[in-house]
Amino acid sequence: MAEKNTKERSSLSKWTRRGFLGIGGLLGLGLVVGVGGLAYVGRSIKKYSGKGMGEGASLNAWIRIAPDNKITLAVARSEMGQGVYTALAQLIAEELEVNFEDVQVIHPQAESPYANTFLSTQKRENAFTGFGPMGKILSFMPVIATGGSTTVIDAWEGMRYAGATAREMLIQAAAKTWDVDASTCKAELGFVINTTSGERLSYGALAESAKDYTLDKLPTLKAKSEFKIVGKPVQRLDIPAKVNGTAMFGLDYKEKDMVYAAVKHAKITGNKITGFKNEEEVLKLPGVLKVVLTEYGKALVYADNSWRAMQAAKSLEVNEEGAQVPDMDSAYYFGEMRRIADEDPISVRIDKGDVQGITNEDVQEGERKLEAYYEVPYLAHACMEPVNATAIMENGNLEAWMGHQAISVAETMLNESSGVAKDKIKINITYLGGGFGRKGEPDFPRLIGAAAKAMQGKLVQMIFSREEDMKNDMYRPGAVCKMSGVVTQDGSLKALQANLAIQSVERQALGRIVPLMAPAAEKAKTTLEGLDNQAYNIPNHRVSFGNFETDILVGFWRSVSYSQNGFFQESFIDELAHAAGKDPLEFRRNMLLDQPRYLNVLDRLKEMSNWGKQEADTYQGIALQYSFESIVAQVAEIKKMGEKEFKIVNYYCVIDCGNTVNPDTIEAQMQSGIVFGLSAAIHGEISWKNGSPVQSNFHDYQMLKMYNCPKITVAIMENNEEPGGVGEPGVPPAAPALTNALFKATGERIRSLPLSKSDYVFV
Amino acid sequence: MKLKINGEIVDVEVEESMPLLWVLRDELHMTGTKYGCGIAQCGACSVIVDGTVMRSCSLPVGSLENMDIQTIESSDAAGTLSVLQEAWIEKQVPQCGYCQSGMLMAATQLLKDIPAPRDEDINAAMTNICRCGTYNRIRAAIYLAAERLAQAGKAVTIK
Repeated sequence: MAEKNTKERSSLSKWTRRGFLGIGGLLGLGLVVGVGGLAYVGRSIKKYSGKGMGEGASLNAWIRIAPDNKITLAVARSEMGQGVYTALAQLIAEELEVNFEDVQVIHPQAESPYANTFLSTQKRENAFTGFGPMGKILSFMPVIATGGSTTVIDAWEGMRYAGATAREMLIQAAAKTWDVDASTCKAELGFVINTTSGERLSYGALAESAKDYTLDKLPTLKAKSEFKIVGKPVQRLDIPAKVNGTAMFGLDYKEKDMVYAAVKHAKITGNKITGFKNEEEVLKLPGVLKVVLTEYGKALVYADNSWRAMQAAKSLEVNEEGAQVPDMDSAYYFGEMRRIADEDPISVRIDKGDVQGITNEDVQEGERKLEAYYEVPYLAHACMEPVNATAIMENGNLEAWMGHQAISVAETMLNESSGVAKDKIKINITYLGGGFGRKGEPDFPRLIGAAAKAMQGKLVQMIFSREEDMKNDMYRPGAVCKMSGVVTQDGSLKALQANLAIQSVERQALGRIVPLMAPAAEKAKTTLEGLDNQAYNIPNHRVSFGNFETDILVGFWRSVSYSQNGFFQESFIDELAHAAGKDPLEFRRNMLLDQPRYLNVLDRLKEMSNWGKQEADTYQGIALQYSFESIVAQVAEIKKMGEKEFKIVNYYCVIDCGNTVNPDTIEAQMQSGIVFGLSAAIHGEISWKNGSPVQSNFHDYQMLKMYNCPKITVAIMENNEEPGGVGEPGVPPAAPALTNALFKATGERIRSLPLSKSDYVFV
Repeated sequence: MKLKINGEIVDVEVEESMPLLWVLRDELHMTGTKYGCGIAQCGACSVIVDGTVMRSCSLPVGSLENMDIQTIESSDAAGTLSVLQEAWIEKQVPQCGYCQSGMLMAATQLLKDIPAPRDEDINAAMTNICRCGTYNRIRAAIYLAAERLAQAGKAVTIK
């Protein structure tokens, strides 16, 4: 049974977090590799504790080797099913020269070497080097986060160098032992071999002395042709524990005499709880220990069991206030957004040629002009594991267990709400039972800090019931997009215009975490992604948006702006193709003639989907999106079963994500993205009535299931391009591929999701 | 009250109305069975009770005395569950993994009831939600496990 030992916690106060390998004076020394076990070039100013990595010697922030040859790798990215523990371990192990089966992975503490500099700067060149002024700033305020499909992009070079420098340090230590030149030694599967004498020393025997070696230059990384682990479908490290129930998620840390706290939010979106009406009665319910109103306007009901706590929280009656528009319905929100989509935008991102002239005036003879309004609803993340966290505060220390996507955010919030200094906080990042952006939010680390503080000396496990989780999400925003376009007589796209009305995710989400970093809505870079960064060559093109503000919280939802903009763009491109009398695949292809990677993707998709050659009752639709540095195109193949009843038989998916780390994971992520996109397209909607979200659980916020999940076939393009993301890019084309296929089947153009509202049924 | 879980008798002192899920998780600290919805919609809490897959979040524990409760923590060396677990690894099924205990419970009972299932049988038995969308691989792993169990059965017969 799952009783975890508590030994480590008792030593919490003895932490020497900054002192483990504390060399602080290297700033400005330039090329210093592996000094004193610190990191390699550019990371040398940053420190780490090695906490949680077990016995042995640290060769740098990522690698610790024990005398018994056990190799522990630190991966400061959250494992939420996308395979990051395995992918980053693959990159390190490839250069370290070890058996992949011999490595184990832990999530380290929030320390600067682990910053995701590609996520925070969106520049590949910063991903490894991270130095220069930006690197120095980032080492003081590291963004250690998992999101934006950035993990492999950020790690691609740096983690291989982490492995390579450690390997070279081990070789140097061995050469010294044998008193030979290091060039006569080589590393192989966890040993250094003296190629002259044939002697061997294990990494475990060498690590302690190797940690003090320095390198005078960066090692040369292997060529792709030499890879033995990277680019190979190795088995994921986290899977065995996930089939026998032992994998630890946030809710799975247990101790004797722990307590549970159920969270209750105000009923009306935007309100805060200001007081209780029946606290005395609730306190008398079985197992209830305490009722607390936090400074965040949310209540905590403590009990000796989660269920008792949730039952009691449900019966707690509260006073609440604060919403700007306390009684609003979805009709109001979408009315406002339709109005904004018709108005002048606050920001124009692309303005090429003379779109407005062309779309406003009468079309020329033979041309066709189209105009349409598209709409998508608000969507919940609905991670299988509801939002939760566990923590204990005692003797001025705080230790927490949670599945958070950003340990640096979690640390900041715990510090803020508990008052415990950051160097007295230890965070155990568990496996995440789904993340999708929701688990990067600051609300639950902030709340658990308050929950632990209000019940000091007790381990507190805080839980959102599914209903609290779904009604208090940071939703994918609803949106309205006005699209217009003109196709010429010869069937090519002459002009395309999109004006989007939406709440700004970037402004809100960053504002919740670092208020100073929150851009004004018109400056938010990501709002138009999917519309303003696609590869199509369009001679007259205008992309803009208008901002909608309301109390609804919106946040990063798997594929973020691409999730709706991809639907708008790829549906309307399809409309234009049909208006032009062109095959939708060829219509797209003709706008990409100078883009070989796109052409290869489309050609591969055409071949694998047997495009355009279906039986009489079977129909196909195509969609293509660039997102997160990867190109994904999909064909949906549907079979008509009744008037509005279809079976989604197949999805064909081609991805070009450049160099790959684990092709099996990429296939899994494409399948996952498609199912995620289809659940939203078919069922997904959070609507508001009288100021509250209507949907509360999986009965009214439904998901694709086994019976209606298509067979998904994935092809990965082989090339030597820089790696792109894979966690999110499978999502955006899924919905438009399906609705484009439905158009072929029915002649009905779907411009509003979900499909269940248009009475479509998928069997 | 006394419960029989994975062959062991355990004593718990809770109200009869408490769902089995919370007895397992919070009273016994058996955390393999997961909370997903609390209303028997998602199946993350699936366990097997006397040969039937049940959703433990909606199963008052008072109704379960003297019944055989099987969870993901049960061990059945070379039995249906362990063959399924091997297949799950071989097909690299889990992503986040949160739903997979429930999926494996549902698949275990499916193969006990229908040793050679067809697509329709899998669709009817596997009604759990996987938010990561591992359905294709679950199906493949069930077929693989069914094949292995059939071979093992034959081997035994030949002996």
